[in-house]
Amino acid sequence: MFGSPSLARLAPLLLLPALGLLLPGHLPQYYLYLGNVIMMYAVLAIGLDLLLGWAGQFAFAHIAFFGIGVYGTALLQIRLKLPFILAMPGAALLAGLIGLLIAIPATRLRAVYLALATFAFAEGAQWVFNAWESMTNGADGLRIPAPSLFGHVMGNDPAAFPLVATLLALVLAATLYLTTSKLGRALCAVRESEHAAAASGIDVRGTKIVAFAISAVYAGVAGGMYTLYESFTNPEVFGFAQIVLVLSMIVVGGLGSVPGVLIGTVILGVLPTVLRTTMRDLLVWQELVYGVILILAMMFMPRGIWGLVRRKRRAVRP
Amino acid sequence: MTAPFFSLNGVSVRFGGLLALQRFSMAVAKGSIHALIGPNGAGKSTVFNCVSRFYTPSEGDIAFEGRSLLGVPAHRVAGLGIARTFQNIELCRSLTVLENVLIGMAPRVRGYFPFAPGFRRAAIERQAMAEAEALLERTGLVALRHVPAEALDFGHQKKLDLARALASKPRLLLLDEPAAGLRNREIAALDALLVGLAREQGITIVLVEHVMRLVMAVADRITVLNFGQKIAEGSAAEVRDDPNVIEAYLGQGSHA
Repeated sequence: MFGSPSLARLAPLLLLPALGLLLPGHLPQYYLYLGNVIMMYAVLAIGLDLLLGWAGQFAFAHIAFFGIGVYGTALLQIRLKLPFILAMPGAALLAGLIGLLIAIPATRLRAVYLALATFAFAEGAQWVFNAWESMTNGADGLRIPAPSLFGHVMGNDPAAFPLVATLLALVLAATLYLTTSKLGRALCAVRESEHAAAASGIDVRGTKIVAFAISAVYAGVAGGMYTLYESFTNPEVFGFAQIVLVLSMIVVGGLGSVPGVLIGTVILGVLPTVLRTTMRDLLVWQELVYGVILILAMMFMPRGIWGLVRRKRRAVRP
Repeated sequence: MTAPFFSLNGVSVRFGGLLALQRFSMAVAKGSIHALIGPNGAGKSTVFNCVSRFYTPSEGDIAFEGRSLLGVPAHRVAGLGIARTFQNIELCRSLTVLENVLIGMAPRVRGYFPFAPGFRRAAIERQAMAEAEALLERTGLVALRHVPAEALDFGHQKKLDLARALASKPRLLLLDEPAAGLRNREIAALDALLVGLAREQGITIVLVEHVMRLVMAVADRITVLNFGQKIAEGSAAEVRDDPNVIEAYLGQGSHA
């Protein structure tokens, strides 16, 4: 887990852009859509997990930063005529900056107070997306311009797929690098014992603030990815149901582990499709299903699927 | 006369109406093992928590190597050369033994931010890893290096807490009841370890401890606290015969 990520660990990530280029010619559009959605959620979930699973901060402002990423990427293109290659990093940085500003007061709070304050922030952000009609077009929703990169126009699933996959690979590489660093150790130390962390020379509050900001940048990047394959957004996308979904992905897969979160993201990302084809009537209950899954996972496998896998492996190798 | 290596000067700590420490002073000589004893609730851990900068005294000063610690934030204390263990063992429980020691090295592993060039970082990490392994070798934990801290038995957790503190290469080590819960054989080993740290590596140790056999065996000097006030100070023999100390312990029904 610790130590620098070796090239051997980073090399498999090259598969993602390769598949990204290869698959669009061979898969039906619906699967490409599903792939885009899952890859976008993977970035969103890993970002939230850095704060929740790694740093142990029960903060739920993540969906707001996702919204800033989506609206930011779209509006920087519409209003400032910026190309996507500048608009997306700009929106991600904006999300990170706002995350930093939120973190300064929020890191003075703990546990349920932190959860409530950040939840309130997310609700507030959704209200802004609704109310700032001159900018976001309010509840009617915003048409996202089809982004283009070096003349390659996206805005639909097959066209977006290669870049979405490449961005996921970049995010995974960054995450591997980050979590195996001294900062990764600091995040764990802050989660497990703030006293031991401080006595070991780790700036507890500073580490939390950095975690908040980085987590917000991830959400911003996920927002940018969303604009690659979706052509429309509205404030409803950034509601409570969304945070429950992302939270379920992390908890089902396994808090504080990248493979776990990826597993959780795939399972919960595919679930609606499975429901649609097998139990159509259940689909209307989708949000309830997520909630129930979240509760059951927390009760019966607090370390998620990856936790179970690791325990099995440890049992085999003494 | 030179300033003492480490000292508390007239330190008071108040929690609401309770005076946890009352104008408490102690001076610790470089390279010595200085025990801080007293009945439960006397304020011993409060002293440590002031040095760690978890608490701020309402009056008085704490000085280490001639500089005041009161202007130093908690996370900079370790970097100055002060490490500590905790009475209720504070470990990163789900992390392995090795990872815990690496966390203890945080104040020394510097020179890179996560996004620093990879080759430089890899070298720093390799160096840190090698040092951590060496320390585990010395503390007898090397065979357990990939075991999560929470899976260790109590004695090994105590050892790891100490190894984590030593990982920062401190000049001053604060030990909060290192012998609590240990078996006789383990206490004998701890005795030898502490003497070795002080005599061979020149680490100054402040020892909070209830196991008097250990205190009497290793301490160069003993300070006795009761109800937040210093009631005696001196060598083991002087303190043992002090009527105030006998009353503080026996008066409470404790066994000294």
